Amino acid sequence: MGEMKEEKTNNSKEIQEEGTIPGVITTTTSAIHNFLKKTKVQDIINWGRKNSLWFMVQPMGCCGVEMIATGCAHYDTDRFGIIPRNSPRQADVMIISGYVTKKYLPSLKRLWEQMPSPKWVIAMGDCSISGGPFYESYSTVQNIDEIFPIDVFIPGCPPRPEALLQGFVELQKKIKAKKDLGTEY
Amino acid sequence: MDVRKIIESLTGTFPEAISEAMVESEIRARAYVDKEKAREVCQYLKDSLQFDHLCSVCGVDYIKRNELEVVYHIASYDHPVVLTLKAALPRDNPEIESVVSVYWNANWYERETYELFGILFKNHPNLKPLVLPDDMLGEWPLRKDYKGFPNTTAKNLV
Repeated sequence: MGEMKEEKTNNSKEIQEEGTIPGVITTTTSAIHNFLKKTKVQDIINWGRKNSLWFMVQPMGCCGVEMIATGCAHYDTDRFGIIPRNSPRQADVMIISGYVTKKYLPSLKRLWEQMPSPKWVIAMGDCSISGGPFYESYSTVQNIDEIFPIDVFIPGCPPRPEALLQGFVELQKKIKAKKDLGTEY
Repeated sequence: MDVRKIIESLTGTFPEAISEAMVESEIRARAYVDKEKAREVCQYLKDSLQFDHLCSVCGVDYIKRNELEVVYHIASYDHPVVLTLKAALPRDNPEIESVVSVYWNANWYERETYELFGILFKNHPNLKPLVLPDDMLGEWPLRKDYKGFPNTTAKNLV
């Protein structure tokens, strides 16, 4: 993104120097975004973003069962605008809901790259935070927070659906306060 | 079929290959088999003694004896005897004939034993790691001298 912006600004300088469009300053979308981040408009954008956190259904362990239960009718995450989505291309939040094995990490990275920005990660359960009962295993990945920018850690083995809901609410508060790691401010 | 008759038939047919054959109870028997003859013994068990169900193939690392053991649990649908068949392999070159041609379900068992213990099953149709990632091949995580356990790279150990 940074490279793109530099190239574009160079181009606009060239255009200005050549004088093909006199009196017009060209800009780029990223420049507009960077400008908007400093204004009050970003508050409105974040208000919209925090009220439509669609999470990706990608259960990885027993926490995944709680995650599915949270998305179902009984806990009704729809009242917070939190809807389960089956495709990473339609999702905003990835929930790491279980141990990450060395074999699964490339697939998880690929899912993360398929999600369109802005996107956030929630680490759910002891396994994803510290390894849990598998913390000294030969086949699990340690320190998952060095790989993904995790906003909210939800401890528990597994955490209850209410805890996951509270994690979502904390993420909403972070987004509203512009403290989330998903967007560069 | 009686468990003693099974052991007698087995030791009578393969006097050199079968050693330390013993009856544990009415339904359990165990024996050591020579690693060269493992497939032939399994073929005989299946054809003549009605042992038509291979329960498991697994490995054990006896590091003090410098040996790896392959353990077959073979049972039957006709009689209640479960036979524990063991084959001792040298630790530096563990190779044994695959029994997939006798028991087809040994395929994944042998692949898992291969990835965890490094026991090479000769004439296996598709000997590649079953569950572990390919780049962990060669570490043999369930051997006793495996260095990667316990994994202490986590910065926030519980």
